[in-house]
Amino acid sequence: MNGKGILKGLSVTAKRFIDSYLEDVRWLGKRATPEKIAFRSSKDARGTFTVQFPEEKLPTPEEFRYIPFLVYDEAEGNKEIRCTSCGICAKVCPPQCIWIVRTNDPETGKPIPQPAEFYIDADICMNCGLCAEYCPFDAIKMDHDYEIASYSRNILNLDKLMKPASYYAEIRPLNNRREEEARAAKAAAKAAAAAARAE
Amino acid sequence: MSNEELNSPGYEIPPELQGQVAVTTLDRIYNWGRRSSVWPMMFGLACCAIEMISAQAARYDMARFGMEVMRPSPRQSDLLLVSGTVTKKMVPVIVRLYNQMPEPKYVVAMGACASGGGPFKEGYNVVAGIDKFLPVDVYIPGCPPTPQALVAGLIKLQEKIDKQSIKQVRWYDKKNKADSVYVPVPVLGPDLIDLRRVDELKEIAAPKPAEENSEA
Repeated sequence: MNGKGILKGLSVTAKRFIDSYLEDVRWLGKRATPEKIAFRSSKDARGTFTVQFPEEKLPTPEEFRYIPFLVYDEAEGNKEIRCTSCGICAKVCPPQCIWIVRTNDPETGKPIPQPAEFYIDADICMNCGLCAEYCPFDAIKMDHDYEIASYSRNILNLDKLMKPASYYAEIRPLNNRREEEARAAKAAAKAAAAAARAE
Repeated sequence: MSNEELNSPGYEIPPELQGQVAVTTLDRIYNWGRRSSVWPMMFGLACCAIEMISAQAARYDMARFGMEVMRPSPRQSDLLLVSGTVTKKMVPVIVRLYNQMPEPKYVVAMGACASGGGPFKEGYNVVAGIDKFLPVDVYIPGCPPTPQALVAGLIKLQEKIDKQSIKQVRWYDKKNKADSVYVPVPVLGPDLIDLRRVDELKEIAAPKPAEENSEA
């Protein structure tokens, strides 16, 4: 019989439609508590619901990519930025939205591995994540914060880009754990090689 | 906006009258009406338009902010959502649509391409940001912005409308007539010509006296 597929699809839509009312009856008279919001955006909820955006936000998946940010480690109150201003991210960036100014030692004129200025034009960035893929120091990562609309062009400077490593661990726990393990293994191998050379 | 927010004009109201009368300023009530009925134009340019459609549908539902009526005519819309890559061929049309919109009118540059050209910023056929031609109110970065990011940007626009004053908005400003809301429609020739820059371009194109001497 022709049109079977259409009827099947329509029945799915109708089921969702009826289910969302049944779900409403289940939560009748209850206010929008965090548990209710979490349940309604989970896969167990029947029917589909409007996301009440500013009050209720959908949980972002770990691999969600928005504008990049720079990771810094907090060591004794100092902000130790991981970026060494090597410029790999600026080279691989397809729309060329990253500008880096290297720090030079004022006395010797030799470069210091630290960015003096770092700009990302958020209105050019296409959120591809290549900078984060290529960075050899795990210094630049993709952010989850998407509420950065503004009244003027969004050109982010070092102040706006720097975010602590704890924030990164919070938004991407699995990635962070994998990278920490890789870094620890690398450090151990380096120490073992140094010990072997000393003998 | 609840009644309490509307009813705070900065004057002291006796407590016995607070539940009886509503005292407000003209600006406040004007802004309240504006921000609660921003009608966007049904106008999509590229992939960002898909996210705009998604934001308009039941899952994110812009109707919660009074933006549910997508008007297919510029004569009935307040908001121009520039959603996508603006090509040089499309710019005269967009500017014409903007000119046809009645005041108050707002422009939101949605996504990287509309705000700054995005990946095509140096392309031969792409305008690097609609702000070269139209006064943009809110820039939303992202490629494309998710529906939630778009709604966050539109909330930002509502906040901007809340702060406006009826005396100072562009379209009622009698003093600076030069900064009119009308934008001359760019001409699509061998290249795109912005009519506001004609004098400047003529100056650049004019032969320099020094060059004439060297040729002679």
